[in-house]
Amino acid sequence: MNYIEVNGVKIELDEDGFIVEPDLWSEDLVKAFAKTEGVEELTEDHWKVINYLRDYFKQFGIAPMIRKLCKDTGFSLKEIYDLFPSGPAKGACKLAGLPKPTGCV
Amino acid sequence: MKVPLHVAKEQEVKAAGFKPTPETEIKEKFLAKLDDVRSSMRSIMVMLETCTKCGNCAQQCHSYLGTNDYNNFPAARAELMRRVYKRYFTTAGKLLGRFYGAEEFDSELISKWMTYFYQCNECRRCAQFCPFGIDTAEVTIAARHIMSELGIMPKFMAGIAVNMEKSGNNMGIPKPAIVDCAEFMEDEMRDETGLDIKIPIDKPNSDVLYVPSSADFFTNVDTMIGAAKMFHHLGVNWTISSKILEAANFGLLFNMNVMREHNQRLKEAAREVGASLVVQGECGHGWRAARMYTEGASGPVPFKIMHVLEYAAENLSKLPLRKLPLRVTLHDPCNYARAGGVIEQPRQIIRACVEEFVEMTPNREENFCCGGGSGILMDEMMEIRMQLGKKKAEQVKALGSLDYFAVPCSICKAQLPHVMKHYGMGSLSMGGVMDLVGKAMVFDK
Repeated sequence: MNYIEVNGVKIELDEDGFIVEPDLWSEDLVKAFAKTEGVEELTEDHWKVINYLRDYFKQFGIAPMIRKLCKDTGFSLKEIYDLFPSGPAKGACKLAGLPKPTGCV
Repeated sequence: MKVPLHVAKEQEVKAAGFKPTPETEIKEKFLAKLDDVRSSMRSIMVMLETCTKCGNCAQQCHSYLGTNDYNNFPAARAELMRRVYKRYFTTAGKLLGRFYGAEEFDSELISKWMTYFYQCNECRRCAQFCPFGIDTAEVTIAARHIMSELGIMPKFMAGIAVNMEKSGNNMGIPKPAIVDCAEFMEDEMRDETGLDIKIPIDKPNSDVLYVPSSADFFTNVDTMIGAAKMFHHLGVNWTISSKILEAANFGLLFNMNVMREHNQRLKEAAREVGASLVVQGECGHGWRAARMYTEGASGPVPFKIMHVLEYAAENLSKLPLRKLPLRVTLHDPCNYARAGGVIEQPRQIIRACVEEFVEMTPNREENFCCGGGSGILMDEMMEIRMQLGKKKAEQVKALGSLDYFAVPCSICKAQLPHVMKHYGMGSLSMGGVMDLVGKAMVFDK
């Protein structure tokens, strides 16, 4: 089984590296994930995206449309990729503790 | 043998509505399912009996050309089923065994099937060139069906089946989120055109049910916007349905019973909104499943089924189009060109929407697959996916500078950005054909 260690605690990951138990998400987990997703330093901009994703997910139970994410956070798609090199769906969602978007994506 | 994709675990298999088969019963159940397929699908029998191994298909298969793996040569792939079929269902195979090319079932066989039947994109290009018309896609469809009946399937497919059952779409978008997305797109269209263009949801007494891909509510926004603008301009009484916000029918790609359930869902959704016409959005295999199997596998339906590109082509002269200054090529989704009769319509539409349209070679029913076909979109298979997309990349590269790459299928839209980036064409903009319609339409304010 896959794990990521956060403050000495092992948190279970699925095969794609997303957390299995959404309640175990924490800011420290984001810091641990950042290293594996090519985010060198977590800035205010990263947190803006992460918090937006978490709020949207809490309200709707799914990740937002990418274009809506861009419009509401004020970042272009390129800027999102600059922040999260593995992309909005697979990078940003992973850090935000959302399930991996699936289907034709 | 290590299977290159994540196989669904017991819990995931059960969640998808399947029953896992205990190790000790696998062989017996496998042979029973193969017997079912053999007796109920005559086409499979003919394909298993007929191949002369002439080798014609090898040079026509992008999977073999991209991976150079012998088992991806279509005739060799079908042999994975043919050998075991011979051993258990032909007299010569039972008596002569290996001398007749027959092979015993063993535990490795399932791993081989999972590996190689999930490296066939079910594109049917081999069938196009086979002198006997042997269609390896049919063999692949049957093989994947047999495995899923045993409770053996990719995690990716199982997850999609769960989402489809729960929410009526592959992504698992609940209705409040569908409403939120539709409102967002309506706002976008209002900002751009100044018009109040609606995306109606579950509207009763609608004439037309539009079935988009759920990816149009995540990444491919402009495809949905293009369709909405067209319906608006034509004054169509239309709706989408939260019961089936999904043109894709992954059942066709791993389990026939799941495909039939999806077809039934489409029938119910159309009945609920009262539609006499169902218009399927930009999705390749979903078009094949809807067009060929909604009636074929599930009985008569009280509505007509059209593809959105057929619909747009039929109404082209009524749309206020102004040509965009773009040089554009078209990728023919396999299931349009070789399985669904949508070939000239996208060309007519693109020519009306842009200044320069160029054909890639080969094209139409001889076109190569994007390499993601049949749902081979798993992240863990990315390296293989890039090999499967090699022929497509070569085709596009040969055209020189392009402004837009039209790929009117959600699987192609998910696969090709990776392929283009991998082969050094990452800056090429791409999307659907309806995207172009939406952008070329000029509205009077």
